[in-house]
Amino acid sequence: MIDARLHDLVARAFDYRGYVTLRKKDGTELYGYVFDRGDAYVQILDETATKRTRIPLAEIADIAFTGDDPVAKSNRVWELRKGKLEPGNTSAWGEWDEERPALLVTAVDQELRCVARAMASEVRSRMARGRLNGGSAVAIAVGPGGGARQAVLAEKPRALLSCGFAGALTQGLQPGDLVLSSSVRDESGEAIVATDSLRKAARTALSGLRFVEGEVVCATSVAATPADKRGLAGASGIAVDMESWAVAKAAAEAGIPWIALRVILDPLDSELPAFTREPQKSYVGPALRYALKGPRAVADLAKLAAAARTAADALEQGLRRIGPALAAAGRSEERV
Amino acid sequence: MGIPVSQMAAVAKYVVKQRLAKRERYPLVLMLEPLFRCNLSCTGCGKIQYPASILKKNLSLEDCLKAAEECGAPVVSIAGGEPLMHPQIAEIAKGLVAQGRFVYLCTNALLLEKKLDEFTPDTHLSFSVHMDGPRAEHNLSVCREGVYDVAVSAIRKALDRGFRVTTNTTLFEGANPARMRQFFDDMMSLGVEGMMVSPGYSYEKAPDQEHFLRRERSHKLFSQMFENPKKSWQFNQSPLFLQFLMGKRDFECTPWGNPTYNVFGWQKPCYLLQDGYAQTFQELMETTEWSKYGRKSQNPKCQDCMVHCGFEPTAVKAAFESPAAMGATALAMVTGKL
Repeated sequence: MIDARLHDLVARAFDYRGYVTLRKKDGTELYGYVFDRGDAYVQILDETATKRTRIPLAEIADIAFTGDDPVAKSNRVWELRKGKLEPGNTSAWGEWDEERPALLVTAVDQELRCVARAMASEVRSRMARGRLNGGSAVAIAVGPGGGARQAVLAEKPRALLSCGFAGALTQGLQPGDLVLSSSVRDESGEAIVATDSLRKAARTALSGLRFVEGEVVCATSVAATPADKRGLAGASGIAVDMESWAVAKAAAEAGIPWIALRVILDPLDSELPAFTREPQKSYVGPALRYALKGPRAVADLAKLAAAARTAADALEQGLRRIGPALAAAGRSEERV
Repeated sequence: MGIPVSQMAAVAKYVVKQRLAKRERYPLVLMLEPLFRCNLSCTGCGKIQYPASILKKNLSLEDCLKAAEECGAPVVSIAGGEPLMHPQIAEIAKGLVAQGRFVYLCTNALLLEKKLDEFTPDTHLSFSVHMDGPRAEHNLSVCREGVYDVAVSAIRKALDRGFRVTTNTTLFEGANPARMRQFFDDMMSLGVEGMMVSPGYSYEKAPDQEHFLRRERSHKLFSQMFENPKKSWQFNQSPLFLQFLMGKRDFECTPWGNPTYNVFGWQKPCYLLQDGYAQTFQELMETTEWSKYGRKSQNPKCQDCMVHCGFEPTAVKAAFESPAAMGATALAMVTGKL
C-alpha cells in the first residue's frame, strides 16, 4: 500500500523540472530527473541523462527536491528583463557554445572538390561547408602556398587540417599513399609538431588504409623534379607540399589542434610537367597548352591525371575516416 | 492553399489506407524533438526549462529515423528546442526524406543561413520559419532584437537556393488583427510557400502566463484576422482548422494525430502535455488513456487549447468523413474564402 504522502511526492517530482534525490527504503539514493511515473513506479534519468532506472513505488522512502529548479530560473530571468529585449548581437547560439567547424585547408580546386565529396557538399566560391562524418566542417582552397590565418579568424575552427596532394620525398611512396604528418618543417629548418592527440586519433582512424606517418616538408615553390625533392628531404622529410607550414603556424597562433593529411601525387623519382612549377589556381589551361607539345606531353598528362584520380580517391576515403577525430578535437563543453 | 499537390496526394492516400484498414487512431504528423536546447528564450515557451544535461542531450540519427519508421506518419515536423543546433540535423532531415516523408524543419532561422550548405533542396523538405508577426511583435515574442530581420534574410537566401520555405506563427493575447493581415502580405511578398498560424498553448512552465489566448479571445482574434482573407494568402493548413479557429466549427482534439517523440521517449498524450512517456509508439497508442484528454474530458489543461497539433488532424479527418466538410475544404481552397 502506497501512502498518500508518497503519492503526493511522486506527483510533485514528476511535475518538477529539476533533479531530485530519491531515497530508497534500503538506504540507497538515486539522483536524477523523474520523467515518467505510473501507479506503481517512477522512472528516473540519471545526472548524465543517459541511464534510465525504473523504481517501484514500494521501494521508495522519500524524495527530496535537491536540484535547482529550471522553471524558477527561467521565471527569474524573465522577471529581470521584463520588457527589455536581448541585444541583437547576442550569439546566434544563445547561451550555448557555437558548434565550431573543423577547417580543412587545400591549395587548388581539384583538392577542394575532393574534400567537398568527402563532406557530401558542394563547392561555392572556393569553399565547401558541411559535415565530415560526424562534425561540422568548412573547406577552403587558398591557392598553392596560401595562408590559413584569414580563414581561421573568419571561421573560428576547433581544429585545422592541411589536406591535399604532396610529392614523395622517400622511395616506395606511390600515388594514393596517405601521409599523416608528425610535424611540418619549413625550408629554414624550423619545425612545428602536429597535435599529438589528434594525430593519434587520426592514426587509429586510418588503420587499414595505405598510409605512412612522418615529417612533411613545406616548400615555397613546386618541387617538380627528383633533384628538387631529394634536396628538400633532409634526414626526416617524407613528403613535400606548400601549405602545411602556414596551416600549422595559424593553428599554433590560434591555439587550436592541427594535423596534415596529404596524399602522394608524384613519387620521388617522377618529374612533374614543367607547367606545374608555377603555382596556379587552376592547372586546366596550362595543362591544355602543355598537351599541344606532342604525344609525349599527352602521355605525361594522362599519367598525371591517373595519379591525381588515384590520389583524390584515397584522400577522400582518408578524410571520411578521420572525420570523427576532427569532430572530437578541441570540443569544449557547452556553458550553462 | 500552401501545400504542394504531391504532398496533399500522399497524405490523402495515407488517410484512405488507414480508413480502409479500419484504424480508429492513426498519426498524421510525427512531432520529432531531437533536442530541447534553444538559442532563444521566448516568453511563451515551456519547452526548454530542463537541467543542463537534458538540454545537452541529442537524439541520435538512428533514433530519429527509427521513430519515424515506427510511427509511420507521412509528415514529420522537426521541432525542439532549435533543431539547427543539433549536430546531425542535416543527416536527420535527409534520412527522413529518404524514407519518403514530408519534412517540416521548424527553426527560428538564427542559424539557417550558416547551415544552408548542409541541406539539399528537395520537394519533401521545407524550412518552417518561426515568425510571430511583424518585426516589433516577433522580436518581442522571442525577446531579442533583430531576430525578425535575421529570419527574413535567411528566408530570402533559402528561397534563392531553391528550398521550400513556410512560416509558422504563434499568436498571443494582444495580437493586432490589422497588423497581422499586413504581416501575411509581407510573408507572401517574400515568397514563402505557405503560412501556418495557431494560438499559443498555455504551457504551465512558460514564464509569461498572462498572454495566452483563451478560447473566446482566439475566436475573436482569428475572425478579425481572417475576415475577407486575401486570395494571395496561402496557408499550409486545412481551411477547416482555420474556420475552427474563427469559431465557425467546433472540433474535438485528436491528440494521437501528432504524436511526439523526444529524448524521453514517446510523449503522452500529445505535443503540448507531458503526462508520461512510452518507450514504443505502439505502447503510446495502446496505453495512453485518450479519454482523459480533449475538451470533452473536462481536463482543465485542454479547455483553452486550440493548437494545430491537436486540431489539424481532426480537420483532416473531418474532411474525409463528411462530403459537406470535404466540399467546404475544396471551396475554401478554390475561392480562398474561409
